[in-house]
Amino acid sequence: MQSRGQGRAPRPGKPGPGAYPWAMSAAIAVAVIGASLSLNGVFRGWVWLVPAITTVFIVGLTLAVLRALRVHPVLTTLGGLLALVFILDFTFFRPESIAGFIPSGATLDTLGQFLKRAGETMVSETAPVSPNAGIVFVACVSLGLVVVLIDALAVPLGMPATSGLGLLVVLVFPATIKPQGGGLLGFLAAAVGFILILGCSQWFAPDSRLQTGNAHGTGQLKRSVVIGGVALVLGLLLPLAVPGFERGTFPVGSRLNPWGVSNGLNPMITLGNSLRNPTSDGSITYATSSTAPVYLRSVTIDKFDGDTWAPDDREASRRIGPGRMAPDYALPSELVRQLTVVDTGQFTSPYLPVPYAPTAVNGLSGRWSWDPATLSIRGEDTTTRNQQYTVYSALPALTSATLSQDNAKPTSISQDFIQLPSNVPDIVKNTAKTVTAGANGNYAKAMAIQDYLRSSQFSYSLQAPVQGGYDGNGMSVLADFLQQKSGYCVHFASAMAVMARLEGIPSRIAVGYAPGHATGATVAVAGQEPLAEYQVDARDAHAWPELYFEGVGWVAFEPTPSRGVVPPYASEPVAPGGPSTNLHDENLTPGSSTPPPSTTAVPPLAGPGAGSGTATGYATALYVTAAALLLAVLAASPRLVRSGIRARRLRPARAKQIASGDGAGPAPSGDGPVLAWAELQDLATDYGVPPVPSETPRHFAARLSNSAVLGTPRAAASPSGAADDAGQHAVASLTGEFERQRYGPPEGPQADTAAERANAAAVRIAAVRAAFRRNASWFAVFRADWFPPSLMSRWFQLLWSPFRWLGGISAAAASRAAASVQKLFGALRWRR
Amino acid sequence: MDSKRHGTVDEQLLRDEAVVALPTERESFNGHKPAVMDPEQFHAASEKILAAINKVIDGKAEAAKLALTVLLAQGHLLVEDVPGVGKTLLAKTLARTIDCKVSRIQFTPDLLPSDVTGVSIYNQSSRQFEFRMGAVFANIVIGDEINRASAKTQSALLECMEEHQVTVDGHSYQLGEPFMVVATQNPIEMEGTYPLPEAQRDRFMARISMGYPDKLSEIEMLETHQAVSPLAKVTPVVTSADVAAMIATVQQVYVSQSVKEYTVALGRATRDSARLRLGASPRSLLQLLRAAKATAALDGRDFVLPDDVISVAESVLAHRIILDRKAASSGDTPQSIIRAILASLPVSQDAAAERRSS
Repeated sequence: MQSRGQGRAPRPGKPGPGAYPWAMSAAIAVAVIGASLSLNGVFRGWVWLVPAITTVFIVGLTLAVLRALRVHPVLTTLGGLLALVFILDFTFFRPESIAGFIPSGATLDTLGQFLKRAGETMVSETAPVSPNAGIVFVACVSLGLVVVLIDALAVPLGMPATSGLGLLVVLVFPATIKPQGGGLLGFLAAAVGFILILGCSQWFAPDSRLQTGNAHGTGQLKRSVVIGGVALVLGLLLPLAVPGFERGTFPVGSRLNPWGVSNGLNPMITLGNSLRNPTSDGSITYATSSTAPVYLRSVTIDKFDGDTWAPDDREASRRIGPGRMAPDYALPSELVRQLTVVDTGQFTSPYLPVPYAPTAVNGLSGRWSWDPATLSIRGEDTTTRNQQYTVYSALPALTSATLSQDNAKPTSISQDFIQLPSNVPDIVKNTAKTVTAGANGNYAKAMAIQDYLRSSQFSYSLQAPVQGGYDGNGMSVLADFLQQKSGYCVHFASAMAVMARLEGIPSRIAVGYAPGHATGATVAVAGQEPLAEYQVDARDAHAWPELYFEGVGWVAFEPTPSRGVVPPYASEPVAPGGPSTNLHDENLTPGSSTPPPSTTAVPPLAGPGAGSGTATGYATALYVTAAALLLAVLAASPRLVRSGIRARRLRPARAKQIASGDGAGPAPSGDGPVLAWAELQDLATDYGVPPVPSETPRHFAARLSNSAVLGTPRAAASPSGAADDAGQHAVASLTGEFERQRYGPPEGPQADTAAERANAAAVRIAAVRAAFRRNASWFAVFRADWFPPSLMSRWFQLLWSPFRWLGGISAAAASRAAASVQKLFGALRWRR
Repeated sequence: MDSKRHGTVDEQLLRDEAVVALPTERESFNGHKPAVMDPEQFHAASEKILAAINKVIDGKAEAAKLALTVLLAQGHLLVEDVPGVGKTLLAKTLARTIDCKVSRIQFTPDLLPSDVTGVSIYNQSSRQFEFRMGAVFANIVIGDEINRASAKTQSALLECMEEHQVTVDGHSYQLGEPFMVVATQNPIEMEGTYPLPEAQRDRFMARISMGYPDKLSEIEMLETHQAVSPLAKVTPVVTSADVAAMIATVQQVYVSQSVKEYTVALGRATRDSARLRLGASPRSLLQLLRAAKATAALDGRDFVLPDDVISVAESVLAHRIILDRKAASSGDTPQSIIRAILASLPVSQDAAAERRSS
């Protein structure tokens, strides 16, 4: 009833709406466009901004015009939506439309294509995405709807403050998508717009709720200072507890991903996010019979055309059942056979991580298929989540000697792995030519490219591509990478793969996991010695190139500096007779603080963990102490707060202060009995006799006196009778004083001072409290001391108030909407 | 014939009616403000009255107190109950304990307005019309079975109740102070009667039901009332001047803002209630607060508590509100609805805010 009565903002200007609709629409447009600025990193470039601004502007203008014409609010909102349809149609589907802006049947077809394209972009690309028409269309639709929503909230519903929700909708997307968060610019612009909206609604249609009279001036100031202070403290403390708030003004996306490590259909895309993800849940453990830890390969990428590279699943040639697998190319007879036991845990992906080259996989649940050309295994109706399986793999025994023997042009391999698109940038071609200039033979060329990428010119960085705008993959990204010479495994691997193809070596990019680190545990496998167990998590996500050598098969290389393990054949000084020209500086791992990978089988990366052990030990102790302290304070806080409240209520200074004040107060020393009464009520609440709102003070006191908790009066038999009597007397006198204060005539000057009265009140409260403690059970006393219900219920109320408020406004909005619809239909019927 | 037309006027009570004060005297009576009693005197006087009533009527202390409350609040009382529970006895006893003029009118279907208010009679000797005062010229008027009289007669009484004056042939005659009508009404056997319409019931400050006495009281009543009418032993314990002073004292009782707010909230709650067709009128709230003031004074306080309002709310409001048809058929009574409203109405609107700020 209250909200219905007060919530409605006065109709804009009775004689005419005046400037209000225009100013309001302008404010909304500024706010929405400001908020949309934060989409900058979500889309590449600024092309999308023009249609966005057009949409917002046209919708806002329509709303303002309709409102200036004093159209019914519901019709105004409908008109805004219609304007949104028209402008979107005009922007995106002009050729298919009637008169350029009215949707037709053909428009719907195009719309379907747009939506499909937007959907593809969303699932397959990572920010920043290319601003294709589909995704920009979706963005414009969203922004237009936000404009209509904010307008509806701010003007007809009269709740301008809630219009922040609409802006939040815009801000949440960049905040969760962009790795570095929403960005300050968009946030500030949105905040400025929001303030403009509030200002507009306050200036033109001042809400009756916000009385600016100075009757409550000081109280309001005090309250706003308190609210501001609490908000500030919470704002500083909460981010420590909430995942997602790493730094800055808004939740940072990578930590807010609740769906696990990898959900992408395209592992190339999610790889960068996995690497930037500091959480390590979703780890894979494996145990292998190999002497060195193994790379786990999920999938390969071999098509280098298109905006975005993605795995080619070769649906036509896939085979079901990875029980026995054999590549469709020849392998040398001399093979090293390995057995690996993998437990994927929470890791979720359609592609199964296995060491190369799998010959058989046992123990999987669900249907799986494999591709003979790449030996990647994909779930048909299942994912890798919670899979335990055994992989038998076979790898040619590779040495640099065997590799360097092969100089023939590969013939037995599909053209898929040699083709390059026509749009290879010149810088890639030139670089490949320069780097391999002196090399003779395929292996030598490969080593030259790897050496170049591992040289000190290149640095490993997860952030540089994001900041440089070339995070992702594709030919243009590659050009940027070779210029900036900074990136991570995806860039190094794709650079080497493309350059290898330029030099005539078949290549593909393998995506999966670097070896990870040993857990120290061993796994018993039937028929084997205990196998050392390793753990791999999101930080080990990796991409590396695989090059094909005739007669040997696919060989993995490691061009990424400071990551993974350089395989022996790709780093070892070659045996005499082989081309040794490019191998001297193999061990240089520039730009890296971690120890260079040794040339032999590298022990698991346990070093960093052990090194930081003592430091983390101190830190842990510190954290534990701090947490314990915090917990103690938290546990004691109800008691402390309750005591503080009691002390403040019974403090005589307050009464004195008022008495010595300007005298404008209602009655000098008048608050004393009221405060004491409030304390009595809370005290009774603490001990299980809460006051009822419809109860008079006298009735409450009577109930309290009759309750067991205050003790029976004049129970001569009981030893505590006299003390209980004191409690009863105290309640009676507190009640009497409160009644006189609250309902009695204003008193003249008092003989006794305020301090004396406050002391008397304190004594009485103490007597009541003593009676309570004597008669209550130990549990009730404990609860009253540590979790006083009077305080807890208020805190719970405070906690629930946002939800109650939300419920209230939604109920009010619903009833208002119903009323508006009724009114509208009533008007229509009347006109007819 | 004559006496029948006039109804049975209790001759014993009306014996000293001839000495009804003349209008001039009455004006002087109204002109000077009666002195306010101090609390002790007030308490003693009210105790005396109540003790005297309780001596006559056993086990009806609450009804007696309410009757006194209405007298002190300058209201009128409607006693409604089945025959034989002491309605008239209560009215008579209250009247007897106070040394003032009392008249009793037995309402019958043929009672005329002039029987109540008085009539101008042509005096042969002075050759002039003389006003002969009716039964209403008294301090306490007992209207027995008020629903037996026709509506026009009832209206004549009701004008007096509201205005405290009688207008006959263009002349207005002031009634005495204090002035109180105690009407009784029989809710059963209603054929051929004219039950008071809502608008007229609204003029009575309170309606009480006597109810049956409890077992012990009834036994005691059988013993004490056996031989002689207990009414005969009742002697006035206070003078009418005392009562006027008591009324003045009641008027001095302080009503705080929050009590006023509570009273208004109560009234609005009855108007908003879905179960009521007619809620409490503003006049009823005025009378409610006056009754609450009298209650507070009888309780020995000089300010009104919400408790006072609550204690009289049922008696003051129940006969003024009209139930919704659904509520009536579902077994609600006005009393039960008022009790429900009282149970759900917060006593202090700003109590929560006050506790938060403190």
